[in-house]
Amino acid sequence: MKTMLIGDHIVKSFREGAEKRNVLGGVSVEIDEGEFVAVMGPSGSGKSTLMFALSGTDSVDNGQVCFDGRELSKLGENELADLRRTQMGFVFQQPTMLKNLNILDNIILLSMRDGSRNPAEIVEKARALMKRVGIAELEKRDIAQVSGGQLQRAGICRALMNNPRIIFGDEPTGALNSQSAQEIMDIFSEINAEGTAVMLVTHDAKVAARTERIMFMRDGIIASELKLPKFNGTGTDIDERVKQVTAKMREIGI
Amino acid sequence: MYFRLIRNDMAKSKLITLTTTIFVAAAAMLVSLAAILIVNLTGAIDTLMTRAETPHFLQMHAGEIDRARLTEFADQNSNVDEFQVLEFLNMDGARIILGDRSLADRVQDNGFSVQSDRFDYLLDLNGNIISASDGELYVPIGYMRDHTAQVGDRAIVGGKEFTVAGFLRDSQMNSMLSSSKRFLVSANDYAEIKSLGSTEYLIEFRLKDLSALGAFETAYASAGLEANGPTITYPLFKMINAISDGMLIGVILLVSVLVAAIALMCIRFTLLAKIEDDYREIGVMKTLGLRVSDIKKIYLAKYAAIAAAGSVLGFVLSLVFKDMLLENIRLYMGESGHFSLALFIGLIGILFVFLAITAYVSGVLRRFRRISAAEAVRFGTSQEKAMGTRHMLLSQNRLLNTNIFLGVKDVLARKKLYATMLTVLVLSAFIMIVPQNLHNTISSKSFIEYMGIGSYDMRIDLQQTDHISEKAAEMVETMRSDKAITKYAVLATKTFKVKEAETGSDQNIKVELGDHSIFPIAYSQGRAPAAADEIALSTLNAEELSKQVGDVITLVIEGKDKNLTVSGIYSDITNGGKTAKAGFTDHSSDVMWYVLCAELADPSIIDSKVADYAGRFAYAKVAGIDEFIAQTFGSTISSALQASYAAIAVALTIMVLVTLLFMKMLVAKDRYSIAVMKALGYTNADIQVQFISRSAFVLIIGMAAGTLLANTLGEMLAGAVISSFGASAFHFTVDPLAAYLLSPLMMIGSVLIATIIGTSGTGRIKISEHIKE
Repeated sequence: MKTMLIGDHIVKSFREGAEKRNVLGGVSVEIDEGEFVAVMGPSGSGKSTLMFALSGTDSVDNGQVCFDGRELSKLGENELADLRRTQMGFVFQQPTMLKNLNILDNIILLSMRDGSRNPAEIVEKARALMKRVGIAELEKRDIAQVSGGQLQRAGICRALMNNPRIIFGDEPTGALNSQSAQEIMDIFSEINAEGTAVMLVTHDAKVAARTERIMFMRDGIIASELKLPKFNGTGTDIDERVKQVTAKMREIGI
Repeated sequence: MYFRLIRNDMAKSKLITLTTTIFVAAAAMLVSLAAILIVNLTGAIDTLMTRAETPHFLQMHAGEIDRARLTEFADQNSNVDEFQVLEFLNMDGARIILGDRSLADRVQDNGFSVQSDRFDYLLDLNGNIISASDGELYVPIGYMRDHTAQVGDRAIVGGKEFTVAGFLRDSQMNSMLSSSKRFLVSANDYAEIKSLGSTEYLIEFRLKDLSALGAFETAYASAGLEANGPTITYPLFKMINAISDGMLIGVILLVSVLVAAIALMCIRFTLLAKIEDDYREIGVMKTLGLRVSDIKKIYLAKYAAIAAAGSVLGFVLSLVFKDMLLENIRLYMGESGHFSLALFIGLIGILFVFLAITAYVSGVLRRFRRISAAEAVRFGTSQEKAMGTRHMLLSQNRLLNTNIFLGVKDVLARKKLYATMLTVLVLSAFIMIVPQNLHNTISSKSFIEYMGIGSYDMRIDLQQTDHISEKAAEMVETMRSDKAITKYAVLATKTFKVKEAETGSDQNIKVELGDHSIFPIAYSQGRAPAAADEIALSTLNAEELSKQVGDVITLVIEGKDKNLTVSGIYSDITNGGKTAKAGFTDHSSDVMWYVLCAELADPSIIDSKVADYAGRFAYAKVAGIDEFIAQTFGSTISSALQASYAAIAVALTIMVLVTLLFMKMLVAKDRYSIAVMKALGYTNADIQVQFISRSAFVLIIGMAAGTLLANTLGEMLAGAVISSFGASAFHFTVDPLAAYLLSPLMMIGSVLIATIIGTSGTGRIKISEHIKE
């Protein structure tokens, strides 16, 4: 499989008063086309920062990030924005929706930005996606009128609108109950099966266990990795995978 | 704890805190100035009227006077403290020359008096009673103010020479609103010039008990004593003295209300934004059991600090600027002697501003009660629904660019927030447009028709010369044979006596005779005199003679009474506003002056034609109409122009400051949405276009509303100002280029620049800092 995204010795630090804290201490990572990966680690271990760095959302102090062979630090603000809009999709823990727009409008927000595209086709695609994730009847609702799980599905629809090559999920199930979380993970699995790479940042061993590669972070570095076979969709399979993940976590002490 | 909270909060929003403080300071300064001016004005008026011993009751009288009967009345009325009759020698302005300027075109009735020896003294600039020596002339203070005369100037009154020895304050007639002005001369000089004018009498009383003034007025009237002229009492003198500076104070108060309103708008906006920001925290505090009043205190403390800082700054500024504004009061009325009282009242004004702001903030904070703790903690935002935008869907938008759509939708969804900005923009547009329209109106050529002047190209004034009629005839002959002149009119002004049936006394009226249909003027009522038995009166004359269109007025023409019907009433600013127009022929009385007006076939040759006629007729005053207008009310036009420039500057400054403030606030408030959009792939330029669409949308509504308001309410207000010049019918003449292109462009330009600067912070919003788990 072709490597799509490369992070090479990424260093990122934040100032906390007079003190400088290294959040990423030279992390190297590669993600292939169509891969399903998770990043796990305790709070403050740098997993979200790694995701922001890899997606070009945040700059890095040292090292480099390449997407499709293009070094992100050499791209301007607008090129980065274009890259995120056309090649990447984002799903966050808190539903990052605009209050003024209803569900449908929030989903099509990005695609409508490019004036050259046919609005009717955009709306049609959004409706198809909503139907697929089971929120077809919610299109006219305001974001305050739907549940957290429904909002997260809408967020996934939004991320899929521009046919991204990779979807970044930052604790996408963090605010959901276990039933909803499982349903969301089913959707991610489906998306991945269709060839879109997925990178999830999570605390949850059950979420990470659905992926095929797990990177464990501690104190700003990748402490260990765990590779798993493709998930076959059964309950016994997931229990077995979770066991492996938790054993690994215990092994490296996180 | 409050101090730390306030300090941290202010450090985070320096620009917003600064702008709000500036507006508060400006409002406080104006209120304090108004308070200081009020105290000084009333104090100065009191001082002046006490020193001058202004009469408590004044009856002006023209005609015969029976002094014995008046003295008897004064002796018998127990309330009379002192009584005197002064003479006022009314003289035509043309007979008075100060330096090298004649007072012919002055609006005031100028007259001469000697110093009184009992009360109603004329005072010098130090407040002392003047005693004029022979050959000395003391001139009303107003002529010093407008630089008509200087001490040491030569003055000529009806051929007699005087030296301007000084200026005088007249507690009765100081005000520009008082139509008469008293010059002071020595008794000998007075006797010499007495035959040159008409004598009016000032019958004056001072009372023992001023509170019984009403009873005294009734007693005077019922005694059937001399009363051919206005009656003025002490309170009225006070009011007349107070009114022009009072109007200045009124304007300052009005502006201070406006500025205070803008300050409150800013506070409201920042406060609403802050409350929305802190929604969850407020909910948490409520859940934990803090009382609403406790939470309010935290917010109130910050604005109380801003209000206090602004008020103190405003007070200091008012002390710096007060002398500038007090200049006029000091000049006309002298010192008030109330320095510390003025400061004290100024302080009270400041305190009032401070209290008003804290009360307002406290009022806005009442909405804390409506915040549901549960809702705030659960959703983190207010669940109040934005009405009216439910049907404005991006999915159905085919018209607007997505960024513009989002900007417009945001404005409609958060109307309350943007209403504040809209109000300020409407006010600014109003402030900008009204003075501009006013200036444009009074400087337009058609406006002079409202002012009693026809619309022609060249005007020749012929006055104070020998053989005036022969000279006029010679000029008419030249004009008739001049091919460059398409039409011309000859208007001769003569004085006639008016017979008044009620009083039986005679009054003079200046009538302009000729064909008034050639260069018509605008009539506020009726029309131009057409038949020989018709006459048109200026507004002031119609008021004075209590005549309306259709009434009959009797003039003495060629020794006989002649009834003329009033055909129309017009506004006039020339010759003191008291004029009349008629078409009858008369050979008896002398022509006071001629006005010859002409229209040229080619207006571009006005200048050369004027020069040609001026060279040919050295005894006449030849002027192009623009020059004439500039001379007649050029100073009014230029002050209106200055006012309109000042208004434009003020309005644009307010617009820039407020837009800057609001945009900074909005960026701070919407940083989360901005971060989301940026994370998803919207560029900084996209975000800025959205913000520009917001302010442009609000601005377009603001400009439209402001222009509409300016042309309705503004026209009414301006009409009230204009009518004080004597013009009664009034409509704005709008310069479409200035009003509908240049002003909007200036507004759009400044709001756009302010928006771009105000939203430049969006580029610095870090996505990762705002989308944290």
